[in-house]
Amino acid sequence: MTKTVVKTRELNLVGAINEALRQEMEKDERVIILGEDVGKNGGVFRATEGLFDRFGSERVVDTPLAELGIIGSAMGLAIAGYRPVCEIQFDGFTPSIFDQVVSHLGRIRSRTRGRYSLPLVIRSPHGGLIHAPEHHSESPEAYFCHTPGIKVVCPSTPEDAKGLLIAAVRDPDPVIFFEPKALYRAARGPVQEEPYEIQIGSARVRREGSDLTMISWGAMVGTCLKSAERLSQNGTSAEVLDLRTLTPLDLDAILKSVSKTGRALIAHEAPNSGSWAAEISAEISERALTVLKAPVKRVGGWDIRMPLFRLERYYIPDVDRLLMAAEEVLAF
Amino acid sequence: MPLETVVRHETQRLEILSPDGSVDSTLDPHIDSKTLLEIYQKMIELRAFDERAIKLQRQGRLGTYPSVLGQEASQLIPAFCLKPSDWMIPTYRGTGAYYGRGMKFRHSLLVWAGDDRGTVFPEENRDMTFSITVGGHLTLAAGLAWGAKLEKKGAVKAEGRASLSRFGKGVSDDGAVVLAYLGDGASSKGDLHEALTFAGTMKLPVIFLIENNQWAISVSRRTQCAAETFAQKAHGYGVFGLQVDGNDALAVFSAMQQAISRGREGRGSTLLELETYRMANHTTADDASRYREKTDVEKWAKRDPLLRLRRYLETLKLMDEARHQELLKNAEALVDAEIKAYESFPEPNPLDMFANNYASAPRALIEQRAELEALLERKMRLGEIVEIPPLEGRFP
Repeated sequence: MTKTVVKTRELNLVGAINEALRQEMEKDERVIILGEDVGKNGGVFRATEGLFDRFGSERVVDTPLAELGIIGSAMGLAIAGYRPVCEIQFDGFTPSIFDQVVSHLGRIRSRTRGRYSLPLVIRSPHGGLIHAPEHHSESPEAYFCHTPGIKVVCPSTPEDAKGLLIAAVRDPDPVIFFEPKALYRAARGPVQEEPYEIQIGSARVRREGSDLTMISWGAMVGTCLKSAERLSQNGTSAEVLDLRTLTPLDLDAILKSVSKTGRALIAHEAPNSGSWAAEISAEISERALTVLKAPVKRVGGWDIRMPLFRLERYYIPDVDRLLMAAEEVLAF
Repeated sequence: MPLETVVRHETQRLEILSPDGSVDSTLDPHIDSKTLLEIYQKMIELRAFDERAIKLQRQGRLGTYPSVLGQEASQLIPAFCLKPSDWMIPTYRGTGAYYGRGMKFRHSLLVWAGDDRGTVFPEENRDMTFSITVGGHLTLAAGLAWGAKLEKKGAVKAEGRASLSRFGKGVSDDGAVVLAYLGDGASSKGDLHEALTFAGTMKLPVIFLIENNQWAISVSRRTQCAAETFAQKAHGYGVFGLQVDGNDALAVFSAMQQAISRGREGRGSTLLELETYRMANHTTADDASRYREKTDVEKWAKRDPLLRLRRYLETLKLMDEARHQELLKNAEALVDAEIKAYESFPEPNPLDMFANNYASAPRALIEQRAELEALLERKMRLGEIVEIPPLEGRFP
């Protein structure tokens, strides 16, 4: 018997995304990339670097500056049988696409009684802490998670980014794919060379623990891991659960961890009220009240707009804020 | 029955000052010497500022900055033509527009340093903040113009009228106009369609000014729009449209005067396409060599708006080398002083982000602000921060 050798090498997160796109385009001629500056320029974060040269201007399309037009036409392409992967250049530009997302994107399958589906992906950078101007550091996931009929993904490692993006491109339904921009180059890790899928809807335990579950996604997972390390110095064992997918939620993984620790802290970057953390908190409270030793704690951004970047580090929860919240939960 | 032409539209282009400095005398707006020199001086100062801002960014003393190099005429002159009682909304590439309205460079620098305290306009102006998301301000501009139209009619009387004047010096009896800038890229957004629809049907005193600098980051003007001009878009909405050489100071001035009169006199809205060129990268975070030819940039350098105006001033005997050198020297000194003023602002107090979110503070914000205060105290205890700067913003 020959042993299958899985070849891996180090990639950063944006490199993993680039590789996923390239491999899916090689495999499936129906995959078309469209967006602002995705062609010659290779995307403002270089996520599509090299794809224009490799696949040409008919498959890697620089669109006019019109986000609603990008999504609307991608929906048309998807119904016509293609597999569009749209890029919305910044998270702060996604409100422009809401009309299509809320009114049509998640509804076409149901509205046509299953006749048409929308196998498309909307990629967008996510989150703050890169010293960017206004509208470049937002965390709009809750708006999308609230919308039925679509899936929302937000990886935090290069390995997950590649596997989840490939799964998203192959998914028969629309997927919003948020890419933590602070991690594009900062997150590095081993990534398999061959294409592979990571199941959408599956969370991953990034650190095992027994006293407290820290639930998060995107760049905030790293802050949770740092906080867990700090907590361990004082003898507290924190588990860190990286959701990876926000809808559908991996409730089994959440409940399993919370049943073990009895305490849950959900950390994220968006304004806290009405955030996706609120939904997760509600699920835990509804389904696992009896295992809880303390109320579920949400730690997010404040309920104000993201300030310009000089103050962003005081808006997005940092290790100190997570430790303060963890102390509160542990002392309950 | 043969096909009948029901309407025929023409789009004109206005160009007065040729690149060599000679003028079409039939179109010369006859700007007085003082005004001409003031415009030239401001353009020189703007360019000096722009060069320094890019250097500051490279030195880590400023955040991402969008250059206005090559767009000095199309940016600064339209705003300069307004009265303080007129409304102005620039785009993010708007340092020149703000400067034309008298905003200080120190405040532009603060904004691009990621500091919310930079949003400081001259007290008497009716200026708006820019937005980074493009196009969203265009329907808002129509609304401002709607208000201005009502204001001119005297729709609100007595004490209500006083409340309308809370911005700027007061209500404008001769009819305020609204100037809204946008780029060739933003013209693709549905917002412009809706804004022009409102402006046209309601005959609003608004000027939509497309600064066509040929590039929306890496997307060229030809990829952006299949029409021969952006100005002709006006025809679809019953709005007057004109293409203007945006690097021609006289043409920009003249087109603006006509558009302003049209608005003030209740003759409707204007769509101006100012053809210019983004000589620099999109922002300091961009590298234009990835997607455009050097020769294209060199071609446009010959149409440089400052050079053209300088040649014209020389023909009028208003400028010579010595005078020009003096202007450059003074501009450098002005920019030096503004940078110094910018860099002597103290760090912002983190609690300031809670200021000005609502007229009165909801419970959630009171609680969250206290939480941030506790966090800051913790960081002080841990030695992560040394001091908390004084509070500036208003928290109700």
